[in-house]
Amino acid sequence: MKTISITAALAGAFALGATSAAQAWQPTKPVEFVVTSGAGGGTDNFARMIQSIISKHKLIDQPIVVVNKGGGSGAEGYVYGKGAKGDPNRVIFGTNNAYLLPYVAKLGYKYSDLTPVAGLALDEFLLWVKGDAPYADAKAYLDAVKAKPMGFKMGGSQSKDTDQTLTSMIQDATGVKWIYVPFQGGSAAAVQLAGGHIDSNVNNPNENIGQWKAGQVKPLCVFSPVRLAKSDPVFEGKGWGDIPTCKEAGLPLETFQMPRTVWLPAEVPADAVAFYADVLEKVSKTPEWQEFVGRTAQTAKFMKGQDLADFVAKDDAANKKVFENEGWVAK
Amino acid sequence: MITRFWAEIATALATLAFGLVIVNGALEFGIGWDSSGPQPGAFPFYIGGLVALASLGTLVVTATGRFAGSADLPELFLDRDRGLRVLSFLLPLLAFVVLSATLGMYVATILYLVFTMRIQGRYGWLGTLATALGTAAFFYLALEKFFQISLHKGPLEPLLGL
Amino acid sequence: MDNLANLMHGFSVALTTHHLLLMMAGVLLGVLVGVLPGLGAPNGVSLLLPLTFSMDPVSAIILLTSLYWGALFGGSTTSILFNIPGEPSSVATTFDGHPMAKQGRATEALSFAFLSAGFGALAGVILITLLSGWVAKFALRFSSPEYFAVYFMTFASFIGLGGASPLKTIVSMGIGFTLASIGMDSVSGNVRLTYEFDVLLAGVSFLIAVIGLFGIGELLLTMEEGLKFEGVAAKVRIRDVVLTAAKLPRYWLALLRSSLIGIWMGITPGGPTAASFMSYAMAKRSSRNPAKFGKGEPEGVIAPETADHAAGSAAMLPMLALGIPGSATAAVMMGGLMIWGLNPGPTLFTDRPDFVWGLIASMYLGNVVAVVVVLATVPLFASILRIPFSIIGPVIVVICFIGAYTAAGKGFDIWLALIFGLVGYVFKKLDYPIAPLVLAMVIGDKAEDAFRQSMIFSQGSLSIFWSNPLVTTLMAIGLTLLLMPLIGRAALSLRGRATARSD
Repeated sequence: MKTISITAALAGAFALGATSAAQAWQPTKPVEFVVTSGAGGGTDNFARMIQSIISKHKLIDQPIVVVNKGGGSGAEGYVYGKGAKGDPNRVIFGTNNAYLLPYVAKLGYKYSDLTPVAGLALDEFLLWVKGDAPYADAKAYLDAVKAKPMGFKMGGSQSKDTDQTLTSMIQDATGVKWIYVPFQGGSAAAVQLAGGHIDSNVNNPNENIGQWKAGQVKPLCVFSPVRLAKSDPVFEGKGWGDIPTCKEAGLPLETFQMPRTVWLPAEVPADAVAFYADVLEKVSKTPEWQEFVGRTAQTAKFMKGQDLADFVAKDDAANKKVFENEGWVAK
Repeated sequence: MITRFWAEIATALATLAFGLVIVNGALEFGIGWDSSGPQPGAFPFYIGGLVALASLGTLVVTATGRFAGSADLPELFLDRDRGLRVLSFLLPLLAFVVLSATLGMYVATILYLVFTMRIQGRYGWLGTLATALGTAAFFYLALEKFFQISLHKGPLEPLLGL
Repeated sequence: MDNLANLMHGFSVALTTHHLLLMMAGVLLGVLVGVLPGLGAPNGVSLLLPLTFSMDPVSAIILLTSLYWGALFGGSTTSILFNIPGEPSSVATTFDGHPMAKQGRATEALSFAFLSAGFGALAGVILITLLSGWVAKFALRFSSPEYFAVYFMTFASFIGLGGASPLKTIVSMGIGFTLASIGMDSVSGNVRLTYEFDVLLAGVSFLIAVIGLFGIGELLLTMEEGLKFEGVAAKVRIRDVVLTAAKLPRYWLALLRSSLIGIWMGITPGGPTAASFMSYAMAKRSSRNPAKFGKGEPEGVIAPETADHAAGSAAMLPMLALGIPGSATAAVMMGGLMIWGLNPGPTLFTDRPDFVWGLIASMYLGNVVAVVVVLATVPLFASILRIPFSIIGPVIVVICFIGAYTAAGKGFDIWLALIFGLVGYVFKKLDYPIAPLVLAMVIGDKAEDAFRQSMIFSQGSLSIFWSNPLVTTLMAIGLTLLLMPLIGRAALSLRGRATARSD
């Protein structure tokens, strides 16, 4: 009897070893998912989607507890993560704000307090105008803005965040000048555009899809090197894949994307990083994840290790340049 | 004990200090009005200033009221009996907060309820322990098990394997 | 009448045994999270969210909204019994609800609260049914200046109320405003007034403030007075619930006025908390004996409760039709909608009529179920007050502090609650009004944001506040409300002088 069970256990171990190379580390107590946004925010949906996929496919044996720490634009969550130095049971979900926030505000953490684990997707940014606006393409709109500096209003999320950074990049690339109005978030900016209170926004697809479906807003171009994946038509026969890239549309700014990222506190064992990276890689291959990414029109892109480090370095440099030009860097 | 006069003065001084701290903190962000409206520090600056001014006003009103012989100012804010009653409630409460921060909230809950019921309320041990352990167990089951929210824990819970 | 046909179809979707059971479960869970201060509806909804991933969207939203209704009711319960508002929107219920409980009228207060809340909620849903299309269009006209005007109206209606010293009112309101501005300032992207303490990054939570100011402050006062809750002598009978229900129609005017205020604040961005404060203020202002308010006047319970729930249900409309979450709970539910594969927005009504009208029908049913369930719990809750204070007092202390911790999972908040408790005690003894502090804390930062956004819109010109008929009307109403007590007082003193002269 005994031998059989031992053999079975060994076989099981080999089977596991075959799928995921030498798993030295496993969580020993409930895993805490720290969400660096309030409940209902983009990062919250990201983390809870992953939680639901992990529990459905039983990728982690321990229970998962999600906590929202969205204060200070997410800084609260990163500070909380820093407090668990060396503890691999606290996983932090965020965006590029992990490394960008410490530039613009005096905060209780540094980027070096975090260990990068993986990036799962890139959220896209589009240039949107009101549905009945007289501009057929990005070029026409930008020409109008150029003709009347500070005469048009760009709305977006809070100041010094991605939306304003992108606005600043467009201004540098094209020489136009908007009045930037910061709102509480992308959904507020979407409604303000639909109501005609602002002239444009640079929302993520997910933030504006409801208004686009109703024809209240329309996309002019996407800040991505290639067009978005084909989708079902959203409005008047056009889908996500039919939107030109901004470069095609004559706006000389190729890429602006926001990574959806996962982090651990500093000084955790390398095995633990490998464990989570592996779990997340499995998540990224499930049909549920593909469906989620497709529905929210994000671009699926799994990154870990060197890929991720390269991406972060490049993204960090591009953003830092804007912060310095605009004088946003906190002393 | 303390008269209402001194209680008024002490409170007004505290709110004055609060106002000044806010004013000072707001100065860091610019308090002017530029092309895009008030700067980030403006609102806290003026509100803090208003709190400080109103506190000064309360100080003046209280002081003049005393010289004018206002009826309620010399009254006791707290007499001996009342003070003792408040302290008998406040001190264990303070101990509960300190214990919560050091021994964890479950242990603090049990110790606090046992103290207030057995020592202060003179209930029997049976009722006391049932209430104390019952309350702690209710929160443990409701929060940790059902809602998956963990309370602050001290050094004792791991020993029990919780 | 399309809407009515749709609604009938909605009832056929919502009215199944399975859904009714879900409603009961949701309401009971909601009452539980509402009763525990700090847990609140947003926590409850986000905790249940993972469970709903595998459900069909209609069942899922029915479960979550029922939990929301339950939590709103549960929040009122603790407001009345222990002076601890379980939800921000039930703060105003404490003003008269708790005095009633102390006088041994807990059953009456609870029954009034639940029944009028149910009335308000139904009024809100009826509005959604009849006017969904129009309201969605109307809400689109709101931008930052209009938002500011709505907040201004709320302040204006409340400010002239209290009998407290104006200096002390200013101090109290100012403290509320400053506490609200701690943390991230979204208009500038700066972190303000944290003095580089990490614990202040997320700001000072409103929940911690009310747990301290109301809950612990009240306990200290009760202790000082050497009072026991007088509920000990009160008999708790289900008959009293029925008797109270029979008295409700007498307050038809308050019910109607409060429903209108609530609906208005629900579809504009004011939200339930502002609605309950404003409704309380209007009830007191229009009452023939305003002096009775704050001392256990049933209308002081009915007005905020009706408005709170009318706003809570009317706020579901902007969420569905525009994708603006009207409250923290709505934000979590919107996250849920996305995960279930629905996109909130103007086309949700035409894309997924089953879902929308099923939900609206479930709001009718859910609220009726909720009222029945919570009324049945009244005797149970009211009899809690018969437990001697030397037991229930410490247990409330434990509940308060555990609530303070669970609100954000921060140890620092326990200390903060203690400080707020002492402040609440001293302020009450020295006649500093606490309500302005609380109101300023809830809508102060939103009002500031809206004001500064308006200034960015207009590039620094105040004329934006009378730049279109809508915002001009709102500001005019606000100014009238603000000046009315002053004018009233001036008129009184003139008349006083006139009579003095004629003597």
